[in-house]
Amino acid sequence: MLTSSKRMALRSGNQMVAEGAIKAGCKFFAGYPITPASGVYKGMIDMLPLNKGIAINSPDEISALAYCVGASMRGYKAMTATSGPGWALMIETVQYALITETPVVICVVQRLGPCTGGATQGGQGDILITEFATSGGYTIPVIYPSTAKECYELTVKAFNWSEKLRTPVVLLTDKEIGMTTESVDYSGLDELSSISRKVIKIDDADFRNWKMYGFDSPGMIAKFAPVGGDIKVTATGSAHNANGLLKKNDSETISILRHLEEKIQAYKNELIIVNEDRDENADTLVISFGITARTMKEAVKQARLTGKKVSTLTIYSMFPIPSEQISKAAENVKRVIVAEENINGQYRMLIEPFLNGKEVVGVNKIGSLIKPGEITERMV
Amino acid sequence: MTEGVVMPFCKGCGHSNILNKLNDALGALKLSPKDVCLVTDIGCIGLADALFDKVHTVHTTHGRSTGFATGIAVADKVLAEKKLKTIVLIGDGGSMIGLLHIVNAALMNVDVTVIVANNFLFGMTGGQQSSLTPEHFVTQTTPFGSMNPALDICAIADASKAGFIARKTSTDKDLTESIAKAIAHDGFSIIEILELCTEHATKHNELKGNMLAKMAEAEGHKLGIIKDSNVRKEFSLKYTEDIESHIPEMKPPKLSEPVTEHYLTKPWSIVISGNAGERVQSSTGLLCEAAINCGLQTTQKNDNPITQGSGFSLSEVIISPDEINYTGVDNASFVIIVSEEGLKELDSQDIFHRADDKTVFIVDEAISKYIRGYNIVSLPLRKTCGGEKAALGAIDYLVRKFNPFPHERFKKVIEKRNGEYDKIFKKNYYSL
Repeated sequence: MLTSSKRMALRSGNQMVAEGAIKAGCKFFAGYPITPASGVYKGMIDMLPLNKGIAINSPDEISALAYCVGASMRGYKAMTATSGPGWALMIETVQYALITETPVVICVVQRLGPCTGGATQGGQGDILITEFATSGGYTIPVIYPSTAKECYELTVKAFNWSEKLRTPVVLLTDKEIGMTTESVDYSGLDELSSISRKVIKIDDADFRNWKMYGFDSPGMIAKFAPVGGDIKVTATGSAHNANGLLKKNDSETISILRHLEEKIQAYKNELIIVNEDRDENADTLVISFGITARTMKEAVKQARLTGKKVSTLTIYSMFPIPSEQISKAAENVKRVIVAEENINGQYRMLIEPFLNGKEVVGVNKIGSLIKPGEITERMV
Repeated sequence: MTEGVVMPFCKGCGHSNILNKLNDALGALKLSPKDVCLVTDIGCIGLADALFDKVHTVHTTHGRSTGFATGIAVADKVLAEKKLKTIVLIGDGGSMIGLLHIVNAALMNVDVTVIVANNFLFGMTGGQQSSLTPEHFVTQTTPFGSMNPALDICAIADASKAGFIARKTSTDKDLTESIAKAIAHDGFSIIEILELCTEHATKHNELKGNMLAKMAEAEGHKLGIIKDSNVRKEFSLKYTEDIESHIPEMKPPKLSEPVTEHYLTKPWSIVISGNAGERVQSSTGLLCEAAINCGLQTTQKNDNPITQGSGFSLSEVIISPDEINYTGVDNASFVIIVSEEGLKELDSQDIFHRADDKTVFIVDEAISKYIRGYNIVSLPLRKTCGGEKAALGAIDYLVRKFNPFPHERFKKVIEKRNGEYDKIFKKNYYSL
């Protein structure tokens, strides 16, 4: 009988998102119930009061995200959780967080769409809509775990990116990951560290030159002034100058609109999370993410037993697209398979330009899990 | 307000007066500007934020200002220093699109003051009809007069249990006092201020300032301080009583420290199906708990109709000595079926193509007649365990007879929820 030094628990992905948020220092959650995300809401209701935070209900999803953005403007890390139909209602408020540079994390647990779709059925069909949801086409960082343990780790990451870059961040999961309960080894989770937004104070050395949305280089993010603090906040969803004043079309305003995108691109290299399992002699590369990345792992395990030479690339940082890592992984293979549970191969469409003329094959399905055999049968 | 500021509004617009009176009210209350947050949104009244250079100003999306204000107020009162006065300035148009947020702010009784500047139409966009446009009122989109009566937003606030409700006109002599009372109220307050839009409303209607009060009365809308009550506690005070007082009872999630003593050399996949409300999913959870205590990895996926409490209930479990990637069960090691409903659902989920000659079916004797050509263990599960424990009994049988890990470990786990093992099932179960 071997005693392990592990600490284990049975957890769903939704529960681990909630625990990760607490670890990250989230103090505010506003929820609206929706299958398959309600478990995150319940987890926060149960745990936030124990961690000096507050979780409240909302009468709808627009309120839920508006409450979160308000709390974040007051200076506190905030999160909400929803699925496709709720995200559709939240999009205006996401853009508000973006233009006011207010950190906030939105967990979107995907289900079969469109519209009400299949409430109890998983899917990976919200990749395009969670990214391309802004007028102006701004990059929203999107992180997508594939196991319950990764839900914890990547929720902490999502908060860190959100705080550092002063941007909304989507933590994307799916029904299978959110609602499957699995054994989780807690080793290493205690050691994760959290980042908080830099707050401006009157006696800071740089206060004289500080402005609400001021910057002097693409990578500069203005220090944050909380509503209710000693420094007057001027926030608006309208295009504004560095002081937060509505100024239609003047060059300073336009430069700030550009900066909203440039600041994300300036940190692109820090926003890369992928896992490559590389066989230097591989004929096939399989790329996947979320629940299908797990199917991919099983498929490749089986394929290698039959002598096939295959590499895999698991994408965690869906956006900004880790284009260099994708190109590099595909370097020497003959065929690239992109497996995802949606009809059109949403991510495949976006990354094909980075696959340098390789043969690209989509394994796509809706209504049930992609099976390992459905991936192995397309390998070279 | 900013010294020497020039009002951006049309000549005669009620907004100028309202904002001056708001400014006077803030002064009268002796509030420090850093303790005031004005939340505005779309419309001419939303131009107010540019006129206040000392207070916090947050300009949001149409109708949503009360939503953002609620988040700010809750965070301020529960998480921070509790000193902020959060004031929403919204038009009649915004108050309807954001009605939900006003209602919920009142129900929560957050310390937010909503000032509705009602000029009976959407001014900024050209004078279109709003939900607070009175019947017969001419607007750009109701050229022959509005067909609908106006919403009584104060009555909505009353139905939402608001503690302070007022309806004034922009030229009332005691307007400053009323605004100050609304702001000072501890909890949600709303004050609707009737006024003239001189660009649109007065151009198309016989409308003068001294007619506003009569218009309200004609619609049956009350005027003055309609309600001023402190019976309901402000949100954060109630939160402290209702939630924070229970914190000592709340327990953080627990972890277990497994010892490796299982007997599996490869994964087992088990599908369990029965009726909703008969503990299929929770019994499966107990199997997983015992499994991880013995050093195994587990995944459990559940399925049930959206109604949750009726129809079938189904769990798919994998227990494995190694990391589990794919969580689907395409070829079951064991299939447990404890009711006809469970069998029906499994059949529709194609279980008979997901089983082979190695699969063991453990089924209630009543349904064994429907299954042919597989390894079947037929047991009087419902008779010896009762409906509510049939799934638990079947799983216990599986652990006893097929030995994935020591049965003792499963006993320990199920005793925690069900009491002494020998008393969990009926006497004749134990001899199966």
